[in-house]
Amino acid sequence: MSALERLAERQLLVVTGKGGAGKTTLTAILGRLMAGRGKRVLLLEVDPRESLHQALGTCPSGGAVVPAGPGLAIQNLQPAAVIEALVREKVPIAYFARKITESVAFRQFVEGAPGLKETALLGYAYRILQGGRRREADMVIVDAPATGHSATMLAAPGLLAQASQGGQLGDMAAELAGYLADGSRCGVALATLAEEMPVQETLELIELLRVQQGTRPVLVVANGMYPVPPAGAAPTPCARLLAARRRLNEAELARLAAAWDGPLLELPLLPMDRGPALAQALAGLLAGVDR
Amino acid sequence: MSPGLLAGRLIVVVGGGGVGKTTLAAALALGSARQGHRTLVMTIDPSQRLKDALGVAQEARDEPVRVMAEGPGFLDAALLDAKRTFDRLIRNYAPDPDSARRIFSNRFYQDMAGSLSGILEYMAMERLFEVQASGRYERIILDTPPTRQALDFLQAPERMMNLVDSQAIRFALDPWWDDARPKNLAFRIVAKGAMELSDRLIGRRFLLDVVEFIRAFAPLFDGFRSRAEEVRVLLKAEGTRFLLVAGPGPDRVPDAMFFLRKLKETGHRLGPVLVNQVHPDPGPAAGDDEGVALLRYLADRDQRGLALLRSLLPGRKGIAAVGLEPVPPTDLLTLGQLYEKMASARTT
Repeated sequence: MSALERLAERQLLVVTGKGGAGKTTLTAILGRLMAGRGKRVLLLEVDPRESLHQALGTCPSGGAVVPAGPGLAIQNLQPAAVIEALVREKVPIAYFARKITESVAFRQFVEGAPGLKETALLGYAYRILQGGRRREADMVIVDAPATGHSATMLAAPGLLAQASQGGQLGDMAAELAGYLADGSRCGVALATLAEEMPVQETLELIELLRVQQGTRPVLVVANGMYPVPPAGAAPTPCARLLAARRRLNEAELARLAAAWDGPLLELPLLPMDRGPALAQALAGLLAGVDR
Repeated sequence: MSPGLLAGRLIVVVGGGGVGKTTLAAALALGSARQGHRTLVMTIDPSQRLKDALGVAQEARDEPVRVMAEGPGFLDAALLDAKRTFDRLIRNYAPDPDSARRIFSNRFYQDMAGSLSGILEYMAMERLFEVQASGRYERIILDTPPTRQALDFLQAPERMMNLVDSQAIRFALDPWWDDARPKNLAFRIVAKGAMELSDRLIGRRFLLDVVEFIRAFAPLFDGFRSRAEEVRVLLKAEGTRFLLVAGPGPDRVPDAMFFLRKLKETGHRLGPVLVNQVHPDPGPAAGDDEGVALLRYLADRDQRGLALLRSLLPGRKGIAAVGLEPVPPTDLLTLGQLYEKMASARTT
């Protein structure tokens, strides 16, 4: 079975990687490919400065679910809003709910409680997918925040469940942690560049997933590969630059492949601006290299 | 030479993830040392290649390590590790070893101190305070965490001060469920309800762990507050400059503008803006194979990015483009060459 076929069996997919490694583009590409297989796919973006809509050529979400093609929709989601909605649901009297969400102590708790925001986001996706027959999407792909250490997000529900044992929050976090650890329903796709720091972080993340969750990424994608230089090119400074960049890409990709035996797909650096045309071209290429 | 590249006694290097901030900070620090200044570069999570280039290893997590000395100037490097700084802080500032032990053995501290949001930023600030107070350096170059969300560390001093003074902490130090204190009946009923609600929602153990942590920590609060205040003043001082590193191309411009707006809002002094990893134009004679066509596109894209940034910052001096290196610096020689390139970069 190919990597994309296995990916299509998941309900919840978290796309993560170092900042600038092409997470948002990969989210858009995977969204298109999965929607192309007849699934109803929702792409969740966490960064308040929206960019997912650009990759798909639609208008920004501003918090709403926005259609982005057949079977495909995007939503920009702010964790604080999700948590406030949860409080309103748990505290039925609007006056008290407002008192709680407006209090300084609550805001500090939301800001400071480790893993709370991440848990709220993943919990939102989980609830959509558990919606039974009336559920709005078959698959949710999360464009995870660009944190220094991307594993924080995935470890968050477990951490919170442990900290908040016995409370409703802890119970919800524990249920979510169990769901995330279920490799048949949830998966992680990693976006990286074939450069030293992104590869290093990818390897660390793979190791952390193995130790913390006992899982493996469904897919690793190396974005932005420079092309193979033509044989016998004149040794101009530009040719040297291109050749050096390609050598660096190959060396780092080899380092990644030596430590990661799972699916690893490469995407080239294309002479195109971010937008639906680029997403379509890359989606075609990714499907092509996936065997 | 680009104006004011090395202006300032404290240069804070900011920018989004993956723009080469850490490498440029190291090159800048090397340039400063070569000009005869006692210089420290404080960096967070540098690549192995850069650690090799500087010749430092894990020991730099505890104390600055000498990288090079030349005439009156020298370069030291320190690596930032949030948890270790936190631990050391507690050892140094706890009133007695027993208080330190209480904090170290607290479950909340063990599980979460390292991952608590904003901790890394706050610890960068504490470390900055330590080295600044030592007076050993004429110039400190501070590399910052690659956060895209916000310049968290700028708010870290204020946030720490707010937290120390906050209601939540007061509650924790004088909790409403403390039965030893006489309370009137109405208060008891409200307090009992609040306790039951929070117990039901987040679990009593979590609350107790946090409260115990805050209580153990309370003796250190005054020190935190005064150091946080000093760092806040330092970050806004005359001799402090924020150097912004941006990625190339129009897609990265919103990121750069975000940082610039934030710095302006918070009243910090902006130094040069470096647009890094700009692709060179191969020129018309280079042919048109796949690679050259790609490079032509990338050069054009990066120029469009620069033009956009300049049009959004009319009248702003000191926006410089730093070209993409064939290979990143691997030793002091190539790091020094990168500094020369930064210093001679064309600015507008």
